[in-house]
Parts: sequence; structure tokens; C-alpha cells
Amino acid sequence: MHEDGFSQALSKRGVSRRDFLKFCTTMAATLALPASFIPKIAEALEKKKKPVAVWLEFSGCTGDTESILRATKPTIAEIVLDVISLEYHETIMAPAGKAAEKSKKDVVKDLKGKYIAIVEGAIPMKDGGMYCTIDGHSALEIAREVCGNALATLAVGSCASWGGVASAAPNPTGCVGVKEAVPKATVVNLPGCPVNAENITATIVHFLTFGTLPALDSHLRPLFGYGKRIHDNCERRMHFDAGQFVRKWGDEGHRLGWCLYDLGCKGPEAYYNCPTVKYNEGTSWPVQAGHPCFACAANNNWDVMGPIYSRLPYVVGAGYQLMADKIGLGLVAAAGAGIVTHAIVKEIKTRGIKQTNETEEQKAERRIDNAEDRD
Amino acid sequence: MPKIAIDPITRIEGHMRVEAQVEGGKVKDAWVSGTMWRGIELIVKNRDPREVWAFLSRICGV
Repeated sequence: MHEDGFSQALSKRGVSRRDFLKFCTTMAATLALPASFIPKIAEALEKKKKPVAVWLEFSGCTGDTESILRATKPTIAEIVLDVISLEYHETIMAPAGKAAEKSKKDVVKDLKGKYIAIVEGAIPMKDGGMYCTIDGHSALEIAREVCGNALATLAVGSCASWGGVASAAPNPTGCVGVKEAVPKATVVNLPGCPVNAENITATIVHFLTFGTLPALDSHLRPLFGYGKRIHDNCERRMHFDAGQFVRKWGDEGHRLGWCLYDLGCKGPEAYYNCPTVKYNEGTSWPVQAGHPCFACAANNNWDVMGPIYSRLPYVVGAGYQLMADKIGLGLVAAAGAGIVTHAIVKEIKTRGIKQTNETEEQKAERRIDNAEDRD
Repeated sequence: MPKIAIDPITRIEGHMRVEAQVEGGKVKDAWVSGTMWRGIELIVKNRDPREVWAFLSRICGV
């Protein structure tokens, strides 16, 4: 697209040049690229031809659509809608019925192998795929046709990536993700519940800037977004290391923003850029809001990472938290006791006792000393 | 008596199909169906009540 045309289109939507460059900076940061790439990203967005995209909604809740549409100003959605040409999206398109279906069919026929398919929601495989149909066709039939003929498919959200909440036990409709339903499709998984809009945008920006899809891990997730453990980037990590845990909802530790591990936080087993990118354009994320992470971006988190409020066993820290405990014990005891001392003393008393013999109260109070438990 | 079907109904959350019986330019009868079902009511059976909110809030994300 011509540079002036692009700038004009953005300014018509109330996005200034400054906002646009800020957006390019955010994208470079999200993609873990050095600042020298910012002008390259800006140039690619201004000059490359808009890729045509088809957004399919299957067995999902439209939360991923909301994630991208509800961003605040300068809206990612506005920029994205200028960067890609969205030809079909049931939730926001004006035509309905046959006219809507025609837009989709035209793209598949006229732009075979050149368009991007974006899929939200899982694909039910049970009973011939009857649990999600559009215009009399099952989600599976549509996915085979649209994703099978696309240049690439972005599976946005956990449902499209691997089934998500619809595939939680007993998975009544046999829901799976796009790659499992259409193995021949080129798929990038962007799990999360909902997906973080910035990861969709960053993937598209990477494609426009470099002409390739970003590097993926074995679960087909971009390394830029899913290569780091939440626990390692968590803003409450220092409290984990210091042995400062929230024991009960609304207790003093909770009010002070201590570690949520004991309430069931799955951050030590979850891989996502949630703590750094956050949601709603950097406003917040669950742990900041005071709720433990339940690993929404992990494969089948509902059954594998659950129950949500049960503590993960045996999380090994760097080892220095043990030292901190011992130092802390001396200092705090000298200062006249307190919640930390109490917890540590409790732990020492109960060390070696099997979990099954503990009362619920003891469980809640027990301070896990992971390094020693392992030994 | 033409019978028309509009599927998908757009600008809504979820999937919906409307069939209408039209007579003399007026709708005489109409049938509406939700064309997607995930069975979340079956998924939350026997789960810890404290975490059921997380499943149910995902019925609709709009």
C-alpha cells in the first residue's frame, strides 16, 4: 500500500503518526526484536500489500474476537484492520446468510494459497461434526476447505489451538484444535483464554516484515510469546523467593501482593508472555489482579493443570529461597514472630509427614520447601 | 409459500440459523436454531464448585 494512503487511512481512524510508531515499537518489543527493527516494521506495514484474512468462528465464546476488538486507544484493532483485509468475520460483518457465505467462498476460490485463515473456537468431531454448523456445513468441513487452502492458519485462543474449554473432560462433542482436525494445514497456535491480541498482531507483523512465520516450538506456538515461563517473569516472584505467600483470600499477604503459589498458581508450569505484555494493552493480568494463574495457554489446562485452587507440588526454586528462609527465621523470630515464622515453624514440624495425614488447615499453612522435599 | 433460511446470522455471538415461512411478503412462521453446542453443563459435573465459574464464564465471551 502507498505510504500516504496508509497514513491517511490511519489518521481517518484517529491514529496519529506518533501512535503508529508507538505501535511499531510495541510490536518490536513483543517479537523480542532490537529497536533497529522498528523502522523496518513501520516500512513493511506501510508498503506491503494487505494480506486478505478470513476469520472463522467455531465452538468458542467469541472471547478472542473481543480481545482484539476491545483494545483501547490507539486501538490495535484499528491498526490491524488497516494492516489486513478482513473479508469474513461473522461477529462484525454486515452481510448475513448467503451473502456472507459468498464472501468466504470467493476468497477461497480466488485467492487459493494466498490468504490467511484465522480460527477461533474448537472443532467438534463427534457425531459427524453436527455440534457446530454454519449454513448447513460442519465446522470440520469448513475448516478443511478454508484452512486447507490457506497460506497459513492462525489458531487463536486455546480452543482453536487444542480444544480448550469445550474439550475438557468428558469432551461431550469431541472438540479438537485446528491442527488435529486439518493435519495438512500450516498452523500457528496462539493459545490463551482469551488469546492476547498483541500476539495475533505480532505474528501478522512478523509475516509482513520478514515474509515468514515466526519461529515455533513443538506445540506450534511462536517462541516470542510462549518461550518463557510465567514464574520467571512474574512481578510477585520476589515474594516466592522470600517465602512470602498468600494463605487465604483477603489475608494480609494478599493485600500486600505476595506470591499466589499456595492458592494454586500454575505460573511455575505455564509458558506465556502474560506477565510482560499483559492484557488490554498492558493494563493488567490475572496475577496482578490478585488471582493465581491457571495456565490458560497450556494444552488441556482444564484437566491437566487443575484443580485451579490446588497447589502445584514440588516447585523447585533457584535454591536461594531456602537460604532466605533460614536467615528470615532468625531475623523474624528475633523481632517477635509473625506470619512467615509461623509458616516456617509449621513446615519444620510437619516435614516428613505425608500429605494425606494433613488437615486442610495444615495443608493451607504448610510452607513447601521444595529443594529439601526432592532430596 | 417460499421458505427462506438465513444462516449464519451475523453480528451476534455464537451461531444462529433462522428459517422463515413467507406468505404475501409477510413472515407467517419462523424457526430459530442455535447451531453450536459444547455441553459445558456436562463438563462442570463433578468438578470442584469453586472453579466452576471459570468454565461457565466461557459460555459467552462477549
